[in-house]
Amino acid sequence: MSPGDLASALPMLRIRGVTKSFPGVVANDSVDLDIRRGEVHTLLGENGAGKSTLAAMLAGLYRPDSGTMVLDGKPVNFANPREAQSRGIGMVHQHFRLVERFTVAENIALGDTSQPWKLDTRALESDVQRIGEEFGLPVRPDARISDLSVGERQRVEIVKTLYRGAEVLLLDEPTAVLTPQEVDALFVTVRAMRESGKAVVFISHKLVEVMAISDVVTVLRAGKVTGTVQTRDTNQAELARLMVGREVELSSLRAMGVRGSALLSVSCVGLVASKRHVLRDISFDVHGGEIVGIAGVSGNGQRELAETIAGIRAPSTGSISVASQSVGGKGPRKTRAAGLSFVPEDRLGTGLAPSMSIAENLLLTRPRSLFISKRKVQAEAAQIIADYDVKAPGPDAVTSLLSGGNSQKVLLARELAASGDGATSNHVLVVASPTRGLDIGATESIRKRLDDLRQRGGAVLLISEDLEEVLALSDRVLVIYDGAMVYECDGASADRTTIGLAMAGAIATENSGHV
Amino acid sequence: MRVASIDVRLERRLAVWRGTALLVTSGSLLLALVVGGIFLKLTGHPPLDVYRELAKTAYFNWYGFTDTLGASTPLVLTGLAAAVGFKMNLYNIGAEGQLFLGGIASAWAGIAIVPGMPGPLAVLTVMFAGALGGAAWAFIPALTRAYFNTSEIVTTLMFNFIGLYLMQYLIQGSYSYWRDPKIVGFPQGKEIVDAARLPHWNFPADSMFGIAFPPGRTQVHLGLAFGVIAALGLWVLIERTRFGYGVRVTGDSPAAARYAGISIRGSIIVVMLISGALAGLAGAGIVAGQGYKLDPGGLAVALGYTGIVVAALARSNPFAVVVVAVLLGGLRTGADNMQSAPDNLKIPVAIAGMLEGAVLICALGGELFRTHRISVRRVPSNSDREEHLSGAVGVGVSP
Amino acid sequence: MIGSFASFLATSGINTNVWVVGLASAVSFAMPILFAAVGEILCERSGIVNLGVEGMLLCGVVAAFLAYDASDSAALSMVCGLLAAGALALVHAFLCITLRSNQTVSGLALVIFGAGVSNFVGEPVEGKQIEAAFTDLRIPGLHDLPVVGPVLFHQNVLVYVSVLVVISVAFYINRTRPGLALRAVGESPATADAQGISVSKVRYAHVVIGGMFAGLGGAYIVLVDGPAWNQENTTGGIGWIALALVVFASWRPGRVMFGAIAFGFALRANFTLQGAQITWFPAEVLRMMPYVLTVVMLIAVSITDVGNKLGAPAALGRPFVRDER
Repeated sequence: MSPGDLASALPMLRIRGVTKSFPGVVANDSVDLDIRRGEVHTLLGENGAGKSTLAAMLAGLYRPDSGTMVLDGKPVNFANPREAQSRGIGMVHQHFRLVERFTVAENIALGDTSQPWKLDTRALESDVQRIGEEFGLPVRPDARISDLSVGERQRVEIVKTLYRGAEVLLLDEPTAVLTPQEVDALFVTVRAMRESGKAVVFISHKLVEVMAISDVVTVLRAGKVTGTVQTRDTNQAELARLMVGREVELSSLRAMGVRGSALLSVSCVGLVASKRHVLRDISFDVHGGEIVGIAGVSGNGQRELAETIAGIRAPSTGSISVASQSVGGKGPRKTRAAGLSFVPEDRLGTGLAPSMSIAENLLLTRPRSLFISKRKVQAEAAQIIADYDVKAPGPDAVTSLLSGGNSQKVLLARELAASGDGATSNHVLVVASPTRGLDIGATESIRKRLDDLRQRGGAVLLISEDLEEVLALSDRVLVIYDGAMVYECDGASADRTTIGLAMAGAIATENSGHV
Repeated sequence: MRVASIDVRLERRLAVWRGTALLVTSGSLLLALVVGGIFLKLTGHPPLDVYRELAKTAYFNWYGFTDTLGASTPLVLTGLAAAVGFKMNLYNIGAEGQLFLGGIASAWAGIAIVPGMPGPLAVLTVMFAGALGGAAWAFIPALTRAYFNTSEIVTTLMFNFIGLYLMQYLIQGSYSYWRDPKIVGFPQGKEIVDAARLPHWNFPADSMFGIAFPPGRTQVHLGLAFGVIAALGLWVLIERTRFGYGVRVTGDSPAAARYAGISIRGSIIVVMLISGALAGLAGAGIVAGQGYKLDPGGLAVALGYTGIVVAALARSNPFAVVVVAVLLGGLRTGADNMQSAPDNLKIPVAIAGMLEGAVLICALGGELFRTHRISVRRVPSNSDREEHLSGAVGVGVSP
Repeated sequence: MIGSFASFLATSGINTNVWVVGLASAVSFAMPILFAAVGEILCERSGIVNLGVEGMLLCGVVAAFLAYDASDSAALSMVCGLLAAGALALVHAFLCITLRSNQTVSGLALVIFGAGVSNFVGEPVEGKQIEAAFTDLRIPGLHDLPVVGPVLFHQNVLVYVSVLVVISVAFYINRTRPGLALRAVGESPATADAQGISVSKVRYAHVVIGGMFAGLGGAYIVLVDGPAWNQENTTGGIGWIALALVVFASWRPGRVMFGAIAFGFALRANFTLQGAQITWFPAEVLRMMPYVLTVVMLIAVSITDVGNKLGAPAALGRPFVRDER
């Protein structure tokens, strides 16, 4: 028996009865957890199950309300992340904690009290280089973060925790922003860390990845641990059941009706913003009765494309038409009048005015008369709350106090109702990341609404960074990379590997013509 | 159980009780009076007596109260000027300069165009000219904010100084059209014609409700009606019209406004112009209602800055602006009247400015407690934690 | 450059001396703006806007004036100026950091309160004249150089100190560990927080120190210019000019220095032109110049910078809340 096996027999980090609550919600309810050296331990759970809160407490970001954490036999109660780091616990957050304007080395030095008062940039940069090479994480220490890709930024985060001497690495949904190929590269690094005797805590809700990378899985549901299992003794179905409390299969939904005429036509659209080509010669149609999905790694022009189609930005070249009316560059109101509605990625703040009521928010995308009347929208808001099962005190509830799922329901309801019931047959809906951050119940209900619109003959353009979502709903899939459409395929027969390569820019743009 | 540390934090209130707003506002007023009291005590004045005397001369005395209403008139308008900007997070702190330009424009109209006009038309023309002058002074900051995102805070403020020196130039630095050439010695402005002057309210009878009124003219003039009508108009504009809806959306979230196709630039420019016009109206009210001429000394008394305090305390609600303006107008009147008080109560006029600032600071700090509550938790020490796993006690304390 | 300007003046027959004196006094007049602007840079680099510079300056002036008047000690006067302005900045820090108030309104409140308090406590000494404490030093060997001598080497000690201050602040921000933390807090407080840096401590420290710099500017006005305390015109809006200058200098201390001197010159234009016997320009118009210059400068900066944001700290003006859920 090697010393490593002996060490892994005893948990390095023992957590007992940890509870943490926030106003109105118990995020963790007496959670028990054992983390061992040389082990990849997954925290599995839906959004809002309490995985991130638990990790944040381990990393010293929050303090537990009660319960104990014992690290290497000694009880710990971290007052701040610095203490956690000094005891060898490092966290890589889902949203990277990097200062965009700093260099890689500056980011790594930030908050490190062992740095001299007067910074020695050169020594720092060579250390960073060395650690990167050791774990197969190539980084340029003098590069600015703003010039790095998402995958590279994640590498910087990992190097940073290793530089600080982390023995326990917490990776919070690390694969959410990566292409399939980048995920593979990450897993190589994770295994290398496991081999070197570190403990890796992997937070995820993607079952396939969890099965692929972890040794042990602890499942959380509504803040409670519902089970801890060895990966080799379990399967996806069991994990799914532990995660949601019932057998749930998010089935793929496809078009069943007849494909109608092209309701949204984008032709040769280019966009130059801040002297940069953010969209290049994009052409595609969306027909009635179909959902077209656009996949891609975030920041490749999705937001700009959606805004251009919705009329918020004027295309630099090319044209857009909705139901055969040319709308490109005519502004959001004209575009909407032609029959297009838009659910933006940023619900609260763009799609909804956060400190206004549900009722007042309904006016946002309606034609408004010179004097506004609140009475009509009040009734409509009440109707939406009932129809969509929105958990809100009433039409006057301020939208910023609604949960993500409920505000998305309000937003979608408003946009679906925008063209009136009779006109849905030639209605175009553009939705961006419609279910991001929502729990399974809300996700299901939102997806069903999108499918409904398709089955009734509407045209849906679904833009999402979540490849699973695109594949689950779309009749056709387009892949966007660096502002251009680089790949197109049928939704039902899509090949993940090819899509992944396209998302990573590994497929040339020869077929960027009209698809 | 030993308590290792006490964890104090703010938690968002899940429901906001309506009365909290009033409670917080009164609490901050009280705190500001305490702060002012400390300064009074330090400078050798008895705070309670000073406050009592101040309240008596400003509010609880018919002369004093009508003086207060007179002093409040420009504050209602400059308060509205600031409030309309606040609605969309625009900080027009140039009400001061816009008020000067309103004064300059209305004095010019009162001398040059209205002679020969019938009374009501003359009054309207002079007031309109003032509004126009104020709006014009807000125009450059409005345009540059809308098109180049230049901070309107600094530009409008710089225009205050430029406006001040312009006004001084017209009266003291040159023989301009505004200066009365007949007066030698201390330079003064030319008087506007009688028809353009705002009528004052006179006590209607010797006694009413058994209270004896002193006879004669009060400081209350028609400008106050302009202020109240402006408040009403502004409320309708913001709360009940398409334009106002756009303003509120833009103030809440510019991204949402862009998404909805609301013209942010248009809203910025119009709101700034309305704000300038309101401040200009305040200047016109002073020229046509009080001094009857362009008088730099009478206009440059920080009415624009106090307007910001008024709007902030009123939380930008136009009707609350009227109430708060009367409150702060009384502070000014009281401070002025204290100059004729007995020696130990004779305090610097600057008490008004100091208290205004203190009230604003306290009210601003109190704002958080309207939406949040303080929660104090006792965190047990580590050794205790081993034994008392559920040992945390959460105590919510409302302010 | 200054030399060629001087020779141009000499050959053109204009009284060079007047312009040199004007330039020298511009440098001296630039100092309060410079100190205030450097303080504001420290404050804004931490992500907090403090619009209350004018109020802090006023408090610094009145505290320094009263202390100097009472004690005749320049050191005590300076300490009082620093403390008074620092105390006001602390109020801003408490409002904006602990109570998460609107930074713009809080800054305005500081101006109104600062003006009110300084007028209130300064009332008994209204119009009183004091002697300047710091007089000009001649740097041996350099002060008699033409033009450069009087402008750069015949100034009071605080002018030389200011050069040191600017260099050290620039070094502190860009080359030290606490400076790195400061920049991170202003750029991305969540990141700094995750790295174990206390965002509120860093912000408190820099808001208060920034305020003390404004207090130093206030003390300078008293100790170098030795004016009468006068309610209306002691600072004359230079606090606001300092704010604009920070934007102009892209939040960099070095650049602020040159901007401040330009404004010093504009502020003194009235006297300089009088000295040069150029009187056809109305005094009021000349007095407008610094403010017109500020507006023109700000507009020019924002036109050339649409969408780029110069070097503004990314989190400027936004409160940081970790636990909001």
